[in-house]
Amino acid sequence: MAEFLKTKLGIDHKFNPNSKRHFLNKTQSVYHCHHYSTLYTQLAIDAGETELLANASEDSIHEVLSKYFRENNITDIDERVQISCKYYSAMGLGTLDVQFMGNDSGKVVSKSSHLEEGWIKKWKKFDQSVNYIGCGYVSALLAAVLDKPAGTYKTFESASIVKGDPHTVFNSYKK
Amino acid sequence: MAIDRKKIIDDMSKIEVLGGENGMIEAFNVYVNQLPTSFWNSFAERLTAKAHPDLLPTTESLLVNAAQECGYHTGYGIITSEEWNAAVKPMVECVEDVLHGAFAVFTAWGWAQAEIVELVPGEKMVVRAYDYYEADVTKHGKTDKMSAYMIRGVCAAFMALAYSGDYSNSGDKVNDFMCEQIRGIECGDDYGEFIVKKAA
Repeated sequence: MAEFLKTKLGIDHKFNPNSKRHFLNKTQSVYHCHHYSTLYTQLAIDAGETELLANASEDSIHEVLSKYFRENNITDIDERVQISCKYYSAMGLGTLDVQFMGNDSGKVVSKSSHLEEGWIKKWKKFDQSVNYIGCGYVSALLAAVLDKPAGTYKTFESASIVKGDPHTVFNSYKK
Repeated sequence: MAIDRKKIIDDMSKIEVLGGENGMIEAFNVYVNQLPTSFWNSFAERLTAKAHPDLLPTTESLLVNAAQECGYHTGYGIITSEEWNAAVKPMVECVEDVLHGAFAVFTAWGWAQAEIVELVPGEKMVVRAYDYYEADVTKHGKTDKMSAYMIRGVCAAFMALAYSGDYSNSGDKVNDFMCEQIRGIECGDDYGEFIVKKAA
């Protein structure tokens, strides 16, 4: 456990003065607010395209995490898990705690959530889960940690802060 | 005009935000995230690329609306923030300066390298974007679908902040203006161009 606590996420933030673009660890990133992320989610729900939203999240995050592991030569699974959870927080998405993960399944708990607390702030609670961006992140986390390609896992929420549950619980399984 | 655009970009681009103990970034009266641009582009492009032509205008308008609400509420949070008061407010002499300053911040935050090239107060604004991440949807060739939904929404929102009176927390003024994209880097043009007018 002591080794877990020593695991540090390095964030190298650069602003290109010519292109005026921001980069986190060489990946272009951009600041957006909960209005934007919740309205994208609402749009995905209304259009019946929640899977597309989760897939877009999964593809982009898988690339970020895999690149970080590769460039920092991080091969230990526990360390990869810690880094992935810290990355989620560094992006402002909330917290993740991986309860367990294996080749075929995983369970991840989130006690704090940008998307869901943002949703409640904007519209109050909702009767269905909404964190498809988080689902994509968790699917990417499992795959990147285990050196599997994006698209290996599917994730759904069995409990959700936006519905009034104390935590959000992400459940993943191999497709 | 008293606005020193370069100084604002230099100052505001240096602000670094990372999630706190709870993994949340609270700033400008909103929760902020810093996701990869590839995520935002992927969702918008996949959604619009698969939309039936009859539904494409509605789909695009919803993407614009997401940015319009974001631009209105976050924009208000920015122009009333301590950071704004320190870096921009001393240069502001009139409402048009607020708009020019807001576009400098817009640029500093990595949304687009954009500036106002024409402004008729309360009526019309023309914005050019010389580099923007939404143009990255093409890697080869050019598309006939203008893709800068985020810029369109934020441009319209900034006009509402400037000319629709006091800020409305309920957002009932968010759609007072609308924005049309008439040029796009993704379409082979040298820059993106956006015209904001009062909504019908």
